[in-house]
Amino acid sequence: MGCSSSLPDRSSGQLAGLNSENGGVSDAKNLRVKLVLLGDSGVGKSCIVLRFVRGQFDPTSKVTVGASFLSQTIALQDSTTVKFEIWDTAGQERYAALAPLYYRGAAVAVVVYDITSPDSFAKAQYWVKELQKHGSPDIVMALVGNKADLNEKREVPVQDGIDYAEKNGMFFIETSAKTADNINQLFEEIAKRLPRPASS
Amino acid sequence: MSSDSSSTSGGEFTNPNPSPNSTSKPLEDQFASAALTEPDNEPPEIQESPNGVANGSVGENSHGEIESNEREGAVGSNLEARQSVRWRRTNSEVEVEAPSSPSSSGYAGERGSSSGSGSSGGFDMIGGGIGGGDDEEIQEVSNVDSIQDSQASWMPGKRHVDEAKERGQRGIYYGNIVMIEVGVGNRDGEGFQCSTTISDPVMVVVVLVALVVAVTMVTELVDDASLSWRKRKKHFFILSNSGKPIYSRYGDEHKLAGFSATLQAIISFVENGGDRVKLVRAGNHQVVFLVKGPIYLVCISCTEEPYESLRGQLELIYGQMLLILTKSVNRCFEKNPKFDMTPLLGGTDVVFSSLIHSFSWNPATFLHAYTCLPLAYATRQAAGAILQDVADSGVLFAILMCKHKVISLVGAQKASLHPDDMLLLANFVMSSESFRTSESFSPICLPRYNPMAFLYAYVHYLDVDTYLMLLTTSSDAFYHLKDCRIRIEMVLLRSNVLSEVQRSMLDGGMHVEDLPTDPLPRSGTLSPHLGQPRDSHESLREPFVGIGGPAGLWHFMYRSIFLDQYVSSEFSPPINSPRKQKRLYRAYQNLYASMHDKGIGPHKTQFRRDENYVLLCWVTQDFELYAAFDPLADKAVAIKTCNRVCQWVKDVENEIFLLGASPFSW
Repeated sequence: MGCSSSLPDRSSGQLAGLNSENGGVSDAKNLRVKLVLLGDSGVGKSCIVLRFVRGQFDPTSKVTVGASFLSQTIALQDSTTVKFEIWDTAGQERYAALAPLYYRGAAVAVVVYDITSPDSFAKAQYWVKELQKHGSPDIVMALVGNKADLNEKREVPVQDGIDYAEKNGMFFIETSAKTADNINQLFEEIAKRLPRPASS
Repeated sequence: MSSDSSSTSGGEFTNPNPSPNSTSKPLEDQFASAALTEPDNEPPEIQESPNGVANGSVGENSHGEIESNEREGAVGSNLEARQSVRWRRTNSEVEVEAPSSPSSSGYAGERGSSSGSGSSGGFDMIGGGIGGGDDEEIQEVSNVDSIQDSQASWMPGKRHVDEAKERGQRGIYYGNIVMIEVGVGNRDGEGFQCSTTISDPVMVVVVLVALVVAVTMVTELVDDASLSWRKRKKHFFILSNSGKPIYSRYGDEHKLAGFSATLQAIISFVENGGDRVKLVRAGNHQVVFLVKGPIYLVCISCTEEPYESLRGQLELIYGQMLLILTKSVNRCFEKNPKFDMTPLLGGTDVVFSSLIHSFSWNPATFLHAYTCLPLAYATRQAAGAILQDVADSGVLFAILMCKHKVISLVGAQKASLHPDDMLLLANFVMSSESFRTSESFSPICLPRYNPMAFLYAYVHYLDVDTYLMLLTTSSDAFYHLKDCRIRIEMVLLRSNVLSEVQRSMLDGGMHVEDLPTDPLPRSGTLSPHLGQPRDSHESLREPFVGIGGPAGLWHFMYRSIFLDQYVSSEFSPPINSPRKQKRLYRAYQNLYASMHDKGIGPHKTQFRRDENYVLLCWVTQDFELYAAFDPLADKAVAIKTCNRVCQWVKDVENEIFLLGASPFSW
């Protein structure tokens, strides 16, 4: 994006970003992690979050401005809890230069594409590369093909998603925010993959 | 609003003796003294010159050759060679012009009556700033529609120069300002006029041709697929200086590429000559241009709003664009002139359409002031105190609003917030649905504060209509702002501010029916009328008798100049439908434009009567009052009533205005 010069300079030293004050981790039993959703506009990032956090689905598209902040806590079987602090970023091009502000310091990045849109899959790959270059080195990345309910309109084969995720060491899942399919699984899987702080 | 009301009684008054403390001098006195001098104050611009050649000496034109030919229908040799411009007159229609008066009328209301004979609506105002000096020449180069005779039907698709000739041109060379009227009289003999600054008559010819094409496209249209497109009364376009469409209010901007290119061609062509095109009139259509570096904004309207209003609207649209992108978007065009800006504005259509809609209901768009939600003084103080607390901790602006009304706002030291920025920010937040879903942190730019840089806005809705905006320069302040919000929300809940806000929303603001007959004993409370629930006025349909406030008062707006705030009465019958409200706002808009026309000088009072209303405007150093009355209202009584309104506003100013807000010191 050309008009990024007044945006935060990603090479600048101030890496504070939008980290929560205590760096995200509370203790071994109660994890607190920063999660960022990235992806093209209209792939359903906000819908995934709202389904996960509020159990709602609103088919009318509401374009996200900047980024929305939501949080949700889940309990795992090993009786630990994970509190996700979720940055739902806007997919619009004008916010692309701003993304570092949100993914900096994130423990988890969920990169979303729309299985009916090859363009959005290409955009997802762009975000993966971006995260590999500028994200935290130990970031947990998930690749999510959303709108799985529109299987008859599918243009991105499942295998493409699987292959790309495997190559880049990502966790892959197809979801539908509309039917709630795989939404909770997505976040549970992420929670399982989080590095645990050494409990001493 | 019809502007050529012949019953504009009283005309314009000037207060010969503006008193600094204007409330101390009742409006009656001003009118009384004004009335005495009325004949002398007749606006100088209404000078009729029988044939429009008032001061001009035809022979002195070194650029063009003027032929005066009374024979009708002779069209063959018009526009013949680039070197010689021949114009033919086919009739001696009265031209109304303001020769060599830089203070020519910009006021539509006057224009109508002074140029009543012109079927094409009279001449419009002249582009600002370059107004004719004393040595300007005026030449009429006039040729009125011969089209009806020579060509009965307009055939789209055959638009070339010959036809342009046949349609006939009329223009006035006005020093370095050219006003052109071209009869494209296909339907009803309407012409078009152009107010621009072109110094070379030869170029006029070229521009004329382009304009004929453009106006034809505007009125005939372009996007053949959509009939509805051309039926729209008011179009707004944003395009780049390479002709790339950026935004269109109606229709798909990508389908309008050809149209955009035409607009661009006109603007660039005139610009290349070092000139600027500002306004083209085509019958009842106005095409208003605004050039902002590489961005062109165009409004095409047949709403009869004054040029200044339309231009102000384009300025706001540009401001809205800056709010989203900042002015640094210009650099994209420096790097690549063919840069396509539409992706950068992705998803913001609703922001622009909501802004454009507000042009017809929100007086803040032309008053350049904001309005407050009526609240008890203590309530607003409580809200202000906690916001101030937060502002001291490094927040640039803390703004608490309910819909488009301010509850309270606080700025850091020396930071001041322009009312236009508030309008644009509130519009952006309210029209973007996603802010309602959860707390957000988003870059925005306040064009009047700093058009080059982003600020970061923390936005959170406290209830359905009430939202808090915390602006900061620091991109990593989210968690701090979130903490601030939690603190603010707690205080607001504890001190019942939010429930008071809800109640005020239900009660509404000032109702003209409640205008006190005598000055209030300084109780300073709104409760006499706010406490009353609004009854359904549906049964009261009769337009002229016994409704509204005393003396036929229907509505008023009061703008405090020091505070940059206005208060507007609630709509009451008979102004009870959105259509009527819009018409009244348009009338106010006209009034505002006429009162603020720089050329005319500061008008103090104005009283107008037409078939719809009596409008009364009173401008002092402290405030501006706009009031609408029953068209049969008595003038003296109306004036008295205005004084009472002012007194009323003073009595309750603690509740309707945000007072003592520190940043508003300009």
